[in-house]
Amino acid sequence: MTVVIGFEGSANKIGVGIIRDGEVLSNPRRTYITPPGQGFLPGETAKHHRSVILTVLQEALDEAGLKSADIDCVAYTKGPGMGAPLVTVAVVARTVAQLWGKPLLGVNHCIGHIEMGRLITNAQNPTVLYVIAYSERRYRIFGETIDIAVGNCLDRFARVIKISNDPSPGYNIEQMAKKGTKFIELPYTVKGMDVSFSGILSYIEETLFAMLVEITERAMAHCGSQEVLIVGGVGCNMRLQEMMGVMCKERGARIFATDESFCIDNGAMIAQAGWEMFRSGHVTELLDSWITQRYRTDEVEVTWRD
Amino acid sequence: MATCMSENGSERKLEFFLKVPFPSEREATIALQSLSPDPEPRKGGISKNLDVSGQTLSVRWTADEARILRVSVSSFLDHLSLVMETMDAFGPPVSQ
Repeated sequence: MTVVIGFEGSANKIGVGIIRDGEVLSNPRRTYITPPGQGFLPGETAKHHRSVILTVLQEALDEAGLKSADIDCVAYTKGPGMGAPLVTVAVVARTVAQLWGKPLLGVNHCIGHIEMGRLITNAQNPTVLYVIAYSERRYRIFGETIDIAVGNCLDRFARVIKISNDPSPGYNIEQMAKKGTKFIELPYTVKGMDVSFSGILSYIEETLFAMLVEITERAMAHCGSQEVLIVGGVGCNMRLQEMMGVMCKERGARIFATDESFCIDNGAMIAQAGWEMFRSGHVTELLDSWITQRYRTDEVEVTWRD
Repeated sequence: MATCMSENGSERKLEFFLKVPFPSEREATIALQSLSPDPEPRKGGISKNLDVSGQTLSVRWTADEARILRVSVSSFLDHLSLVMETMDAFGPPVSQ
């Protein structure tokens, strides 16, 4: 039996989750929500996380009905993400790991999303959006944005037109888009396997998501894959899931997605990736536990899959 | 305490020293290991050195500009108090 606690705080969500052999025992989370028209800045976000992290940690233990002695490993987000919030969370993770005498594990945030997606959906060997496929011990990045991430693009669009950030800008865009009737053709920027989102901040979901569906399909064709797994906050979007579903149906492939507890940043996904890494022998020495704002998904050696 | 020192008469570096007592050497070391791994956000113009001696964590900064020094010290104190709160809530350290 292996119990891992995971700490996540690389953007505006701070979460602590506990996993025991594939079972999510607790996954409390808080979101730092800014007023409409304002994005979240590193210093303020770090301050928010700092003010709630110990409370959320206690909640995670209480909801799981566990004591610190029951934990086998402490996992935390090493990167990528915003510097100040990452440090705040890492400092607490390092401290409790030492207080409790448990090994520490630095986890790549994107791998956290992937491992949680695999656990919840049981997809066997999916092509993952953000266009990633597993091959020979690496999550291979098939295609990526050449400038900003799709979530960042949607958030900035919401900011420009002053949509509320509660519960999240993306959710509110989606609700408004459901009532839309007119489609406006906008720059559609796919370059081979990659996409570009920065040129068009006055876009509509349809265009963005169509771009993502196209490059996912291309990755599937290259890998001969029959499964798609959508992870990350934008993965909550039902329209994206619907569009991806249409493409999958045409190819006879299956689509997998998780609900908002798990596609939005959370602590349990870090715990799950930590669980996989810990069981295959990874440990992070304290000296090497520094956080990093840039951390590519393909930098990690995936020793827990064959 | 911040002091100015001249080096070769041309460069002035600012220094800041901090000594923080802990209930035990073990806790001072835990604080050291939690607070030292991350690099300074600004690459240049500042360096920070942490050390434990007995039950005391000592920190020494060297900076070119007062502003950079202030920001780094202020940030460190925030993280230090977070470590201490964590120790209060989830300590004491288990026996080794």
